[in-house]
Order: sequence, then C-alpha cells, then structure tokens
Amino acid sequence: MFKKVLIANRGEIAVRVIRACKEWGIGTVAVHSDVDADSMHVRLADESVCIGSHQPQNSYLNIAAIMSAVDVTGAEAIHPGYGFLSENYKFAEIVEKHKIKFIGPKAEIIKKMGDKIQAKIIAKEKGLPVIEGSDGGVKDLKQAKEICKKIGYPVLIKASGGGGGKGMKIVDDENKLSEMYSLARLEAKKYFGNDEVYIEKYFKNPRHIEVQVLSGKNRTVHLNERDCSVQRKHQKLIEETPSPVLDDKVRSDLLDKTVKMVEAIGYEGAGTVEYIYENGKFYFLEMNTRIQVEHPVTEVQTGIDIVKEQIWIAHSGQTALKQDDISARGHTIECRINAEDPSKNFQPSPGIISVCHQPSGFRTRVDGSIFQGCKITPYYDSLICKLICKGRNRTEAIQRTMRSLNEFVIEGVTTTIDLHKRILSHEKFVSSEFDTNWLAKEKFY
Amino acid sequence: MKIDKKLIKELKDYLDEFNLSEIEYQDGTKKVKVAKNISGITNITAHKPNIPPKKEESGTKITSPIIGTAYLAPEPGGKKFVEVGSQIKKGQTVMIVEAMKTMNHVPSTSDGIVKKVLVQDGEAVEFGQTLVLLK
Repeated sequence: MFKKVLIANRGEIAVRVIRACKEWGIGTVAVHSDVDADSMHVRLADESVCIGSHQPQNSYLNIAAIMSAVDVTGAEAIHPGYGFLSENYKFAEIVEKHKIKFIGPKAEIIKKMGDKIQAKIIAKEKGLPVIEGSDGGVKDLKQAKEICKKIGYPVLIKASGGGGGKGMKIVDDENKLSEMYSLARLEAKKYFGNDEVYIEKYFKNPRHIEVQVLSGKNRTVHLNERDCSVQRKHQKLIEETPSPVLDDKVRSDLLDKTVKMVEAIGYEGAGTVEYIYENGKFYFLEMNTRIQVEHPVTEVQTGIDIVKEQIWIAHSGQTALKQDDISARGHTIECRINAEDPSKNFQPSPGIISVCHQPSGFRTRVDGSIFQGCKITPYYDSLICKLICKGRNRTEAIQRTMRSLNEFVIEGVTTTIDLHKRILSHEKFVSSEFDTNWLAKEKFY
Repeated sequence: MKIDKKLIKELKDYLDEFNLSEIEYQDGTKKVKVAKNISGITNITAHKPNIPPKKEESGTKITSPIIGTAYLAPEPGGKKFVEVGSQIKKGQTVMIVEAMKTMNHVPSTSDGIVKKVLVQDGEAVEFGQTLVLLK
C-alpha cells in the first residue's frame, strides 16, 4: 500500500479522503491556499503545504505548486477529489510522468470521457442508448435545421467543451433556431474558448439517474443507481437510492449495460455514468471519471467504502469486490447543505459559523469540514457538508432525514437546511412526482 | 511639625544617584515626598498630528453588493468592463464580484464618467467596499 498520499483538494472531500487514508495507515498531506490555513482538512492531515493564494488558479489549480508539494513531502500518490483538477487529463498525465500514482483512471480515459461528443460516440458504440441529436458538433445553421427537423422540437443546444449549464439554450420551434444557435456559439466561445456546439433532444420532465461503478483490470462492478432529480440551477441538491421511479426490468437493463460499457473502455477506479430518464427509457448523458459529491448515499446503502476501494484499485490495479457480494438494502437519502440563501435565489452566504451542532443517531451520517468558529470564505464552492440518512424504506429514510435536519443547528451563515425540510415535507417529494425542473418551478418561500 | 532638612537632602541625593524623578519616604506618621522638575516632560505640549483630514473623494460611489473576488474583465485577459474616463450608463456592469463560484455583476448606480477604479483585478473585496468612483 502507499505510504503517503497527497490530497489535491479542500473542504469536505479532502476530509473524506484523509479519513479513508488514516484508516489504512497511510500518511496524509494536505495542500491549502493561504485563506484555508485553519481549515479542517489541514488540521486533520499529518502534514500540510501552503500552495498559493485564495484564487483557485493560484493554489488548488496550480499544478506546479502541487507537484512541488509532492516533491517536498515525498508523497507516492495524489487523490484529486472532485472539481478542481480531478478531471484534468493534463494533470493526470503530468502526475504519471513523475512516477506518482494518480488515484483515478488513466489520463487517456479522462480525456476521452471528458469530451462530451466523444463520450457519446463511445457510449453508443458500447451499447448504451444515447440522446438523439447531432452526433457531434454542428457545422452550420443549415445542418442544425435538418437535425432539429429529424429529432423534433423542443431541442437543446449545448457547448462541446462546456458544463454546469453554461451556454445551454432551449429552442421551442424553428423560428427561434437561428437566433439561439448564434447565441449559444457566442456563449460557448466566451465561457469555454471553443464555439463548437451540438444539438440534442430536449426533455420536458427528465429524471437524473446515475450508476456508481468500481472497476479494476480484473472486473467491473456496479453499486446500483442514484436518483439525483432534485436540482437547483442544474446542480444536485438531494440524492437518493434506489430510484423510486425505476422498475426492476429497466433497472437491471440500466445496470447491465453500464457495467458492459465501463468494462469495454478499460476503466480503472471509481466512476459514475449519468443518465436522463423519461417515460420508461434512459439515455446516456456523461461519465464522471472521479469520486462524486453524492458517493456516501451509495456507501451507506451498500456498506462499501468507495474511497478506500478507489485507493485500493489505484494501488493494486484490481478491485476486490464481486458483484454477488454487493447488496443494497433499504433506502438512503442525502441532503447537500450549502452556505446559501434559498429564499434569495440561492445567493451565497459566506461568514463565520458561530454555532455548529451536527445531528447524529441511528443511521445518520454527516460528511463535512465545518466546526464552530470556522470561516466560510467566498472563494470556493458553497457546499459545506452533507447529511446522509438510511431507513428500511423510503418513508423511514424521509422521517429520519427530517429528524436529523431538525437537530441541525448552524448559525452565522444561511444554509439550505430549512429548504430541505420544506422539500422533504412536500407532497410531490413524498410521492416522488418530480423532475429536474421541479425546484425551479415550485414556490418554497 | 518640624521639617527635617537633612532627610530631604538625603532623599534628593538618592534621586540623583538612582536617576529618579520622584521618591517617597514614610516612617510612622511622617511622610516625605521629594520630586524634581524634569524639563523634558513638563514642557511637552500636545501637538495635533500634522496629517490633513482624510478628504472623502467626491463623486458617486459604486460599492460591492457582496464579499468575494473582484474581476475587472469578463474573462482573464479580456477587455475591461470600464476604464478611467469611460462614459457609463446606469445599470451598466462595471465589475464582477465572484462569491462561491457565482458571478455577481455589479451595475452602475447612475450615469457618469469613471473617475477612479479602486480595486485591482482578482482582489478580495468586502461587502460595501467602494469599487468604482464616478464623477
């Protein structure tokens, strides 16, 4: 096993990875920006190195500084967490070139699956249903018109190099196409430096369903699906497993096809394949070649420590898990606690946490990096912790999550805790009649 | 009470010997205090600091609506939203303040000409901090 791992991240995921390393007796190196010097991941790690100033490009995205920290501390592997450099294939390449193990798939796989157009081609080749559309970049308006006619309106125009909902345009009919097409290209150029766009069928009531996989040279296993359809601004807010809307036949088809695709591309590590689900059918959306924020939902449900498995695969090249050994029982829900004000359109709410009481109790887990007196700076993501609760069934999981949310006390910053209580007691959530657009349409305040 | 001149003389000698400015001696109910006049201290008069009163820069202030990182241009190396001397309109974006990955456009509160840009690109700004001054 590795003697020392450097965690190239911050916040709750850095803490999560440090915990996994500690349980395995692996030394840990935290890197941090100047403003993060007092944060939890720095306090928990065995060693820490300041790698730059508050702006991410000077610190957590600063490859040279991170490699220097590896050199100084003698770390043997790097865990990239999520966000920042986790899906940067150039970083993975540089790390490998220096004979340091990148805890994740090979650079070449990250590159392939990170390019949305190429990923879609691969997924289709390997037997996954994909969203009908342009099958690649659209050359001009004429071609755009033809494609839209074929797949039918409404359609969605997306940036090839994009993500996070930026540069996406919905077109309801052909009259709007010309205008939206040039607008999407303009935004794509602006945000991602590449004006290539592609066209897809637009879904009116989509659910977001994803499959967690762990894959080594020997085999690929799945850890069932997660339903992440409660979203705000295209970002997940609540995740649960199993999905309340899948029937057994569709579920086993989904899981089977996912495992086959992941195995076929020679994937190594933990990964997630994301799908859109509507009217009984699922369509490949993208693959995340890293650990995800919502991985604890699956951990609590299956009893498998995904981060430890990830490190094991990085070390040995193989997964120790067999599909038959993995059994998911009951129902698990995760609520993301963000420092933002849901009553003010999720306006960021940085500040100092003056009071912090986190819930506990039977089948209640909190993953986070907060403590009384800690500073939530405005420089990074608003996610401060996650609450994960398991029940025998969905009803009990909701009750337990509610009970835990009511125990939660965070003062000094405004959080999404109150919104979670409102969502969980909403009849549409309880009856699971919602899609990814629900939160934006429903009035909670 | 009889004044003991000898004692005063003795105490004065101690003042000089130990370089003190004041000495007090008590023996039963008898108490004698000897002090010397030190010119260096007594002559000091309080001077008003010779700093001119901070002149509030005149003009319309555009302040930050949130704590975060200020950006003068929509993208790194891009054209700045405003420069000193730019004629701007009410509602026009003068800067972006990023907080928790959210880009907050800071609109101008009135029409005017940019007199001063008070922050640098990438600088951390506080809530209510003046970013731009208009004339």
